Amino acid sequence: MQHDGSGRIAVQNLSKHFGPVAAVQNLSFTVEPGSVTGFLGPNGAGKTTTLRMLLGLVTPSSGVATINGRTHDQLGNPATVVGSVLENEGFHPKRSALNHLRVYAAAIGVPDRRAEEVLGLVGLSSAAHRRAGDFSLGMRQRLALATALLGNPQVLVLDEPANGLDPEGIVWLRNFLRAYAREGRTVLVSSHLLSEVEQTIDQVVIISAGMTRYFGSLEQLRQGQRSRVLVQPSDAGELVKALQENGITQLEPTQDGRVAVSGATVQQIGDIASKAGVALYGMQEERADLEQLFFQLTQGQYSAPQPQYGQPPQQGGWGGPPSGPQQQQQYPPNYQQQQPPPGHQQPGQQGGGWGGQG
Amino acid sequence: MGRLIKAEFRKTLTLNTWWILLIPLVVVSFWMSFAWGNITNDFASYIGSGIARELAASIGLSPDNLPVGLLAISHGVNITQLIPAVFGVFALAGEYNSKTITTTFLTAPNRVSALTAKMISYIAWGALYGLLSFGVAALATVITVDSPGQPSGGQWLGALGGTILAYILVTLFGIGLGAVLNKVVLAVLLVIGYFLIIENVLVLVLWKWASVLGGILPNGTANGIVGGIAAEAFGFNSLNIPGDTGHFDQLGLQLAAGAPGVISWWASALIFAGWTAVFFVGGWLSNQKRDIT
Repeated sequence: MQHDGSGRIAVQNLSKHFGPVAAVQNLSFTVEPGSVTGFLGPNGAGKTTTLRMLLGLVTPSSGVATINGRTHDQLGNPATVVGSVLENEGFHPKRSALNHLRVYAAAIGVPDRRAEEVLGLVGLSSAAHRRAGDFSLGMRQRLALATALLGNPQVLVLDEPANGLDPEGIVWLRNFLRAYAREGRTVLVSSHLLSEVEQTIDQVVIISAGMTRYFGSLEQLRQGQRSRVLVQPSDAGELVKALQENGITQLEPTQDGRVAVSGATVQQIGDIASKAGVALYGMQEERADLEQLFFQLTQGQYSAPQPQYGQPPQQGGWGGPPSGPQQQQQYPPNYQQQQPPPGHQQPGQQGGGWGGQG
Repeated sequence: MGRLIKAEFRKTLTLNTWWILLIPLVVVSFWMSFAWGNITNDFASYIGSGIARELAASIGLSPDNLPVGLLAISHGVNITQLIPAVFGVFALAGEYNSKTITTTFLTAPNRVSALTAKMISYIAWGALYGLLSFGVAALATVITVDSPGQPSGGQWLGALGGTILAYILVTLFGIGLGAVLNKVVLAVLLVIGYFLIIENVLVLVLWKWASVLGGILPNGTANGIVGGIAAEAFGFNSLNIPGDTGHFDQLGLQLAAGAPGVISWWASALIFAGWTAVFFVGGWLSNQKRDIT
């Protein structure tokens, strides 16, 4: 049985139940070679279980996870196809780093000098004869990466690799993974923090509560976000009225008394304000950051069994095919729930907003 | 498969457990045989009287020429069987303990090959432990036992083969028990407690009602492989005991051979192989499917 050599990771309708607990539910996504793909979700979202099913350590309840079109036990000499860094795993505390690598170099069938090579690659050469049990968390992560690299694999899977690394180590890892992907290999890296891997990844799979929320390119996810303009007018009521008359209806008050305008450029707002005779003391363009979006995509994991992501009317098919990043970014509900400052409220309106809220 | 077996040997040789365990093995095996070697010279005199004389006569042996040296060897190698059992526990349960099992499974084509490689390398380790244990026990026997009591060439070889077979089986038994329990400390305590105390108490207490226990339980059958060879040389095994010999005389004689209730060396080997298979197959099956989380 030969794998197809594509470097593609495919997860299809993958589910795993631990007793009554559904750790992963009907998860599907693919990861292509030549890019670094982030696998994101809050702690407990099912990331580790998914990766372990991919690596043959956990048997799926249903569905299939393949690398190069094969399940892990069909890969032949699997460590030459996929290397993995799992959390806090795999070293005997009394075995030296080099001996640890020599054990698995033998298992994979690569020459012993490969053990020294990979120690050099991860910057651990000077610690080769120290026992793994004496290593810091950061050094253990490097040793885990060295183990993953032994078989010179086409696919690299890393579970929360930034844990325990110092800032310098994180930068080093980022450059290493990007270089690895540039060679046409596949890198899948999980994290519970988007900001931690944002500068490393090109593609992203976001899961929460065991289900896929989004997968596609990070760039599309970024572009899918709408910016808004924070305006500080002399008379907020007049400005809102003028904007609404010009068809700009996605307006919200902010806590500091400004008006947040969505769906209009700074120029448009300035022109409308000028015509309406409203003075503007300041305008600031603001993009909701990715972290906020990530939070919104994954929130509700602990609050409701079937969370609603992004309120209607524009339900854009989260977790659809990779071509479909979310187009309509909604601000989190608290934007609408804020009490407007006195005097901004339109007659007949209760609560926040000036009507026509999006 | 060769790659994985090489990896298994490296795993063992890069840690200290294997040679640290050899220390008690060599020391205990030697001194146990040494002590029994001294006793057996007296035992030969005991054989020369009463029931034992009848027994000896019934199989046409002169009490002076009984190969009592076999008893010394049997006691030495039987008591130290505990050590390969403990060593076996570390093979798989130890890997779960240190979580190296993850990397082991990730670098093997599949779990069957990982476990097979482990089994093969531990068979070699069991044989090595058996060889060493036999070597020092034989040395102590040669030193202590008077020459008429020394075993014949065939008996030496039989005892060597029996020791190696028993040690291999005990090692696999330890692997299986460790794999089923999946807890190193518990499995080690259980092995030592059961083999050293629990079963012996059980056999002695229940002797009157169920003398067969010693011939079928794990410790009795593990000891019965080499013990059975010794017992057979004396005609001590239960099938050959003359009808008028009481239960307790029989027990005393078999105890002297280190194998109370032993049926025969080959029956012991078969039954203990069965016990080993139960634990080993159980451990194997639970590892085949177990989720490594």
